[in-house]
Amino acid sequence: MTAGPFRSRRYVMLLLLLCGFSIILFRLVTLQVLQAAELTAKADRQHQKTVSFEGARGMVSDRHGKVLAMNVEVPSVFGVPTLLESPSTVARHLSPVLHIRSGEIERKLRQDKSFVWLARKVEPEQGRRLEQLSLDGIGVVMEGRRFYPKGPLLAHVLGFSGMDGQGLEGLERRYDSHLHGEKRVTVLQRDALGRTVFPKGLAEQVPTSGHALTLTVDEVIQYIAEKELEEAVTHTHAKSGTIIVMEPQSGAILAMAVSPRFDPNVVAALTPDRWRNRALTDTYEPGSTMKVVVAAAALEEKVMTPGSMVFGENGHMVIANTTIHDHDKLGWMTFSEVIQKSSNIGAAKTGMALGEQRLYRYLQAFGFGQRTEIDLPGEVNGLLKAPKDWGRRSLASISMGQEVGVTPLQMVSAVATLANGGVMMKPYVVSEVRDQKGRVLKEVLPQVKRRVVSPDTARTMTTMLEGVVTSGTGAKAAIPGFRVAGKTGTAQKIDPRTGAYSSTEFVGSFVGYVPAESPRLAMIVVLDEPQGEAWGGAVAAPVFRQVGEQVLNYLGVSREDTVKIALAMKDY
Amino acid sequence: MKTLTIVAGVILVFVFVWERVDVVRLGYQIERLKTQKVLLERERDQLQVKFSALSAPERIAKVAMEKLGLVPPQQGQVLMVHQPGEAPSLPLPSVEQVRLARHVSTGRVSE
Repeated sequence: MTAGPFRSRRYVMLLLLLCGFSIILFRLVTLQVLQAAELTAKADRQHQKTVSFEGARGMVSDRHGKVLAMNVEVPSVFGVPTLLESPSTVARHLSPVLHIRSGEIERKLRQDKSFVWLARKVEPEQGRRLEQLSLDGIGVVMEGRRFYPKGPLLAHVLGFSGMDGQGLEGLERRYDSHLHGEKRVTVLQRDALGRTVFPKGLAEQVPTSGHALTLTVDEVIQYIAEKELEEAVTHTHAKSGTIIVMEPQSGAILAMAVSPRFDPNVVAALTPDRWRNRALTDTYEPGSTMKVVVAAAALEEKVMTPGSMVFGENGHMVIANTTIHDHDKLGWMTFSEVIQKSSNIGAAKTGMALGEQRLYRYLQAFGFGQRTEIDLPGEVNGLLKAPKDWGRRSLASISMGQEVGVTPLQMVSAVATLANGGVMMKPYVVSEVRDQKGRVLKEVLPQVKRRVVSPDTARTMTTMLEGVVTSGTGAKAAIPGFRVAGKTGTAQKIDPRTGAYSSTEFVGSFVGYVPAESPRLAMIVVLDEPQGEAWGGAVAAPVFRQVGEQVLNYLGVSREDTVKIALAMKDY
Repeated sequence: MKTLTIVAGVILVFVFVWERVDVVRLGYQIERLKTQKVLLERERDQLQVKFSALSAPERIAKVAMEKLGLVPPQQGQVLMVHQPGEAPSLPLPSVEQVRLARHVSTGRVSE
C-alpha cells in the first residue's frame, strides 16, 4: 500500500530532475554550440582591442641632410554620439578650440553613428586644450601628419600626401611605394579595468616606418633660384616662371624652381594649376634657344664651321610664301655671328643645309619629343613632328625654334649635353633611398644616356655661346669673373583665339652654363608672358646672372680675377 | 616528510603565483616605458620640424636682413682663399692687394 505513492513521488522527482537537466543541457547547447561564434566575438570585444598601426612616412632631405618633409604625430579629434547627452553643449565647448562653427560640430554629433571624426590632424596645442576640457564622448587619437618645414621651398618637386598618408603629387607620389610606412593590425588584450595588457612580442609587431629619400637638390641653391625667380616674375609681371639648375657632369638636379609657388602644408584650397610642376609638364616653343641644337648639329655634320659665311638677306627672306624676319638688317656674317646675333634667317639657312632627316635625327638625339625620364611624375614628351608631317616652311621654322614644343627640362638637358663634352646625362632628383635603420637600399648613380656630339663640337659650341654673352644678345647674363656660355630665346606664343602668333604674348628664356671652361652649373630661366620688354636677353638673362653669381659664390668656385691668396696656417 | 612536502608544495605555489604576478607587473612597466618612449619620440619629431622650419634659408635671410641689417655680399667682397696645399706656387699677396679688392665694393663690409 505504501509502495504506490512513494514510487510515484520518486517518478515525479526523477521527472523534475530530468526536466531541470534538460533545461540546463538545452541552455548549454544554445550557449556553447548555437551561439558560440556570436558570444565568442562578444567576449573578444570586451577583452581584446584591435588596433591598426601604420608606420610613419619616410623623411625627405636635401643633399646635405636638411629635412624637407617629415611625419609628426598630431592629435585627431573624434566623437561618440551615442555617449553624448547634450550635443549642442559639447559643440559649443569644442567650437573655439577646433575653430569650427558649433552648428557644424553639432550636426556631426547628432548623426546616428557610433563614431564620427570632428577634426583630423590638428595642432598639438589644440589636442592639449581638448584633454583639459575632458568632455565625455569626445576623444583624441594620434595620427601621423606630413610636415613640410620649409613651406613653399621645393614644393613643386616634393608634391604632397593626402589625409590618409598616400602620396598624391611630386616625389611623394613617384616614391610612394618607398615612402609609406608599413600597415599592421594588432590585437591587444584588455584587463578588467580596460587597461591594455602587454602582449607577447609587441616589440616585433611595431610597424616599420617608410624609407627615407635623399635628394640631389641643395636647399640653398633652391632658395636662391626661387627668390630670384619670384623677384623676376613680380618685376616683369610674368604669368609664371621656371628655373632649373643642373650639374652637367651627372645630370643631378640642384634646383627646380617654379612660380607661382605654393605651400604643400596647405593645399586644400588650391587648384592643380597651382601645384603643377611646369618645369616638366608644360611645353613652350623655345624660339632662339633651339638654334643651339641646330648649330651643334651643323658643326657635327661639318655643314658649317664657326667661320662659314652666311648672308642675312638684309633681314627678310621669303620661304613657302611667308617672310622670315630678323630684328636687324643683317648682311654677310660668320656662322658664329649667326648665333651671337640670333639671326632667324641664318638659323633657317643652317637648318636647310642640314636637311629634314639630319635635323630631325639631332633633335631626337638631343632629347626632344621624348621624356627625359626624370624620376618625377607628370613629365610630357613635348611636341616634335616626324619629317613626313612637316610643311614646306617647317624646316626653317623648327631651326628657329617654332613648330616644336619643349619642356624647360628638355632644353636644359640638351644644353647641359654641350657643357658635358657632348654626352647627355639622365636628369634625376633622388640620389639615395635608405631604410628606417639608415641602410642604403638604393643608390642612384649618374647615368649616361648617349653621346650626341663629339667633344670638339661641344668645345666649339662653348666658344660660340660665350660670344653670345660677351658680344651678343645675352650680354646681361655675364657674371663678372666667370666665363658664361648661353643663348637667349624669345618666342611668340600662339593666340588660342586666332591660332596665329600673338604680338603681345611672349616666352622669354635664357639657357646656358658656367664657368664655360669647366662647367659647374647648367641653368635655364623661362618667363612666361613677361610684360613690357619681353626679350629673353632683357628679362631672363639677368636672372641667370643673379642666380649664377650667388650659386658660384656659395659653391666656392674661384673667379678668374680672384686675388689668389696662399695662406700659411702658421700665420694664424 | 609529509609536512616537508606540503611546505615545499606551498612554496612552489607561492613562487609560481609571484612569478605570474611579476610578469604582469613587468608587462605594465614595459607598457609605461613604451608610452614614454613614444611621447619622447613625438617630442623629438616636433622639435626636428621646428628646427627645420627655423633653419630654412628663407627665414635666415629674412632675419639677417631685417633684424641684423646684413646685406648679401656685393661684387668683390667674396674672396676665395686657397690653402697652401691647393696652390703651392702662388705668391703670398700683399696686404694692399686684399684691401684693394675689398675697396671695390660699396657695401657695409668694405673697409
